[in-house]
Amino acid sequence: MTVAAKHPSRAPVRLRHRRSARRLSKGQLAELRQALSRAQRIGDDRGYQYWAGVHGLPLPTYCRHGSPLFLPWHRAYLYFLEKALQDQVPGVTLPWWDWRDHSEALPAAYARARTPGNKANPLHSSPIQPSGRRLPNEKRTWREPGDPSWLPSAAEVDQVRANRDFFTFQSQLESLHNGVHGFVGGTMAIVATSAYDPIFWAHHCMIDRVWYLWQLDHPGARLPDAYLDLALPPFEMTVRQTLDVTALGYDYAAGTAAVPGPGNG
Amino acid sequence: MVERFRSKALELPDPEHRFDRVDLAFYGVDHSSATYEARVFIGAPRGLERGAGADHPAYAGSFYVFGHDRCYGEEGHCMVPEGRDPFDLRLPHHLEPEPEVVTVTEAVRRLAEGGKRKAPVDVLACGPDGAPVKALGFDELRLLTYR
Repeated sequence: MTVAAKHPSRAPVRLRHRRSARRLSKGQLAELRQALSRAQRIGDDRGYQYWAGVHGLPLPTYCRHGSPLFLPWHRAYLYFLEKALQDQVPGVTLPWWDWRDHSEALPAAYARARTPGNKANPLHSSPIQPSGRRLPNEKRTWREPGDPSWLPSAAEVDQVRANRDFFTFQSQLESLHNGVHGFVGGTMAIVATSAYDPIFWAHHCMIDRVWYLWQLDHPGARLPDAYLDLALPPFEMTVRQTLDVTALGYDYAAGTAAVPGPGNG
Repeated sequence: MVERFRSKALELPDPEHRFDRVDLAFYGVDHSSATYEARVFIGAPRGLERGAGADHPAYAGSFYVFGHDRCYGEEGHCMVPEGRDPFDLRLPHHLEPEPEVVTVTEAVRRLAEGGKRKAPVDVLACGPDGAPVKALGFDELRLLTYR
């Protein structure tokens, strides 16, 4: 296993690993697509449309932007969507899109409309439920990638990670995050509809990963105590519960490979 | 809302007083409309061209605003309430203006070492296609110097 951080944050336990979207194995990618497709077929509050709608449309707009709760709220959001996907395909995790690499605008797994087996790629676009649309004819997500200068560079991310104060770090990271939404364009470019685009989740995993790496860089740095017991509606989770990703059962690896052992029989 | 802004000249730090970091903090940034890049310039001459960007000598950095596009509720839904009841434990309104901080250390250092004592700040709001957008609004701008 290759880990993305220099050191794992805790002694090995059976965590799930969020992997780079560019390094998913064929099997991992197939499982992700399967989980997403199954969640798309569910029309109630276990399904993809419900979770995508929590961010913006249909109202209320639950997401927190330009807020002290930006990072904790989105960490909770990723956690609950990932759990909904794991209900469909156990063990599946959300991948992260490393947008610091400008060599290809979007990861291939998300950019291609068809899978190698010539099926519609559920990572490329998603239906938008009628109550989630800006306009009645916006039935599916769409993208319009713009100027790559809107994508953060490695140097910009490093500069943001060097901040020691949580709020300055968060504010500057959120600004970089905003640029990625604008770069993808289309459905992703506005708060109300962005979470319907499947790449939203890979983008936010990268944001969450940068927070995780910042936490490793600055042990103990976090929001002030006054914020820790705030709830993050609509999730049954407080800010405090978002501070340790390993307590949420995951961490960030670049890629993973596993083989079965001999068993204990 | 405007597509560009030019401030009065801000006092720059004296290079004789060491500084490690300089931030431009924008307070009360509106995010109720378009998604845009705010390109920030320090010490640019008057009449900065509309398409000026990172290759301009006065460019100091950018911040990005993730816009809400427009109001999707009924009348009053997107009106940010004025004042706040200290006993109101609900989270703030979703359009509460936000702060943005751009670190501009090297740009300010260049100006200060070149003998500038004051410089205006220009901000251009540009959409993803590079075209100007009328979406820029904020309450206050401060130059913060740290050492």
